Amino acid sequence: MKTDPIREKRLREPWFAARRELSPRRASFLTIFSFALPLLIWSAVSYLPFLWHPDVELQISADRENVTTVYVAGDRVSREFFPEFQEAVRQQNKPLEAGLASLDPAAEATNGAAVRRANKKTLRQLVPILAANQWITEEQAKDDAAIYTSWGEIAAGKKVPTRPQLSEENLAIIAKNWAAMSKVSPTYDSDRFVSVPLLGLVPQGRPANPDYLPAPHEVVVSGIKEFTAPPEAERPSMWQRVGHSIRIVFGGFLLATLVGVPIGVLCGTYPVFSKVVEPFTDFFRYLPAPTFSTLLVAIFLANDAPKVALVFVGTIFQLVLVVANTTRRLDLPLLEAAQTLGANQAQLLTRVVIPGILPNLYDDLRILLGWAWTWLVIAELVGVKSGLTEFIETQGRWRNFDSVYPVIILIGLIGFFTDQILSALSRIFFPWTSEASGKANPLAKAILFLPRWFQKSASVHDLPADASGQARESLTNRP
Amino acid sequence: MNALVDPLSYREQSPDVRARFQALKERPVVLSVENLYKTFPTPGGPVTALKDLSFQVFRREFMCVIGPSGCGKSTLIRILAGLEDASDGQVLLDGKPVSGPGPDRGMVFQSYTLFPWLTVKQNVMFGPRMAGQGAAAEPEARQWIDLVGLSRFENSYPHQLSGGMKQRVAIARALANRPRILLMDEPFGALDAQTRSQMQSYLLQIWKNLDITILFITHDLDEAAFLADRILVLKANPGEVNEIIEVPVPRPRTPAQFVSPEFIATKYRIDHLIHPEAAHEMDSIPFPRMTVAGDDVE
Repeated sequence: MKTDPIREKRLREPWFAARRELSPRRASFLTIFSFALPLLIWSAVSYLPFLWHPDVELQISADRENVTTVYVAGDRVSREFFPEFQEAVRQQNKPLEAGLASLDPAAEATNGAAVRRANKKTLRQLVPILAANQWITEEQAKDDAAIYTSWGEIAAGKKVPTRPQLSEENLAIIAKNWAAMSKVSPTYDSDRFVSVPLLGLVPQGRPANPDYLPAPHEVVVSGIKEFTAPPEAERPSMWQRVGHSIRIVFGGFLLATLVGVPIGVLCGTYPVFSKVVEPFTDFFRYLPAPTFSTLLVAIFLANDAPKVALVFVGTIFQLVLVVANTTRRLDLPLLEAAQTLGANQAQLLTRVVIPGILPNLYDDLRILLGWAWTWLVIAELVGVKSGLTEFIETQGRWRNFDSVYPVIILIGLIGFFTDQILSALSRIFFPWTSEASGKANPLAKAILFLPRWFQKSASVHDLPADASGQARESLTNRP
Repeated sequence: MNALVDPLSYREQSPDVRARFQALKERPVVLSVENLYKTFPTPGGPVTALKDLSFQVFRREFMCVIGPSGCGKSTLIRILAGLEDASDGQVLLDGKPVSGPGPDRGMVFQSYTLFPWLTVKQNVMFGPRMAGQGAAAEPEARQWIDLVGLSRFENSYPHQLSGGMKQRVAIARALANRPRILLMDEPFGALDAQTRSQMQSYLLQIWKNLDITILFITHDLDEAAFLADRILVLKANPGEVNEIIEVPVPRPRTPAQFVSPEFIATKYRIDHLIHPEAAHEMDSIPFPRMTVAGDDVE
């Protein structure tokens, strides 16, 4: 095997060295890893049955009179309760076996009508299994004739359920029940149905996580379903909801920016404004914005106005103080230099302060936009619930958590990519900052790097050197 | 510094040196400082930073101000620039009292004060722009940039320049306003030694070719003796005029003069003023001997 000395050296570099820059290769790898790790943990917990899985997801409905709660297939019960549950059904079946075996199809049992009704429920216990094996369609779930036929086929061994399989115990119960059922009538006839109690199927299940942690594929499937669903009356499509939420966030944020930035800049520039505005603002920002929600509804009435107002109230006070501080951080010597060059007060503000703080102001607004997103969730609960939060609220109440996660992730992605894009744009807007010529965005780098990383042939030493660093060097070396 | 050169020999000015300074003092006064006081209020009572300071700077003179740390050099130049107010006394520029900062006094700061959002050319045009000149100022800005040898970088941003280049732009920017006097507050203090001596030569060339008066603050004896016509030596606590040294080193100055007797005598004199014999005594730190006897290097 050929050894590349530079590659060898790179490989021997320590991973743990205080404040020492990692190689670009490793940095990109770790950036990708930071996203891959949570996904891997989530997948592991979801797909490895020996990790966690504290519940059992039922595959057969259990609908018995002496079980207080009614469980249907897909419900989850705790792993501790499950054996108890199975045992209860077995105990219930025991006294019934004799009556079933000695069935006289001609005789009409006492209160036969009630027993028949109960027996039809037992008949339908197989529906989830039949549906899962695609022997009946969803519309046939109440088609007792088809279900009846399937009972016979399973009892005869003509059909063997594979996913999920039926336990030996349940196959035996099906056989016993079918023996009695077929004695009365080989095909379904609602008037001629067994009138002695049938044996109940013993609950079957598979290890499962609680419903609040759906598996990744479930989230993806629900996500695709929710996001491709067309809008209905009273129920906007997901993209309409996204648009609505974005309008509220940006509406409130832009208003806060329009009002707050001029005030902040004035406070940072002129102590007069600072002393008048900042003490009260400092007090007011501690008043939690959500406490104003009822007030805002009273002022702005329903619809979006109070929501936008809440984002505005939540953002503006922080914004004024942050902008004032940023303005104050502008190098005082720059102002002094401008004065010695003949700038008057108005020119100091427009020609020095404002251009001087722009890059930092831009960064502040980026951070505050993140704040605005956190206010969104509360804002959308104000008055008439709306947007993404309304969806999360409703689905969460129905315990459709697999539909909740895609929305939560989407909000995160919108925020994250907005920030990444704004950060990339800042290089274009402010070419004079040293960051602009410095390192590229690590995430962008990682994404660009990904394909190369999989190319084994990519050799380590031809990575591009920091071009701007070289340029700088050549400038300084000039006499 | 030892007694090889008589420390006072420079005072016996040769006739041509005496004639030179006579001629200098006959020129019009550009800057006149009269009985200047500056006191700062502190929790422990007012502290006097500058006390009864009076001196004059003549047209096209290069004057250096030097003094021990804390003598109020920077306070003085900030008052001259109008960035601070004097407690008492007055500053006259061409005979007119000065109040507040203005473009008639250009200033170069020790810290880099180029506007980072403007290119080199835009920085140089800043002063004329403030005065209402628009694009008309551009050809002249180019000349100033040429003068400091940065025409290749006129469209660069300050963060792309080295420290020495930044200060050259700062000089061009101050000169573009055609000030009566250029105030320089340790402008080369942050530069490395080589760049600094290069910058000193640059500055002397610029000064030689322009009708400009310079007041230059420094704490570097070599720098003061190399650049100045006269050196204003300040006392510390409070800052008062100690002596105004007339530097006998002939012009044009070259680094070769660093070993000339006049240069060494000047430096010795400054050192003696700001660092009197008594202070030398205090310099010897009691330190336990950590070497073997007989292993002395001196």
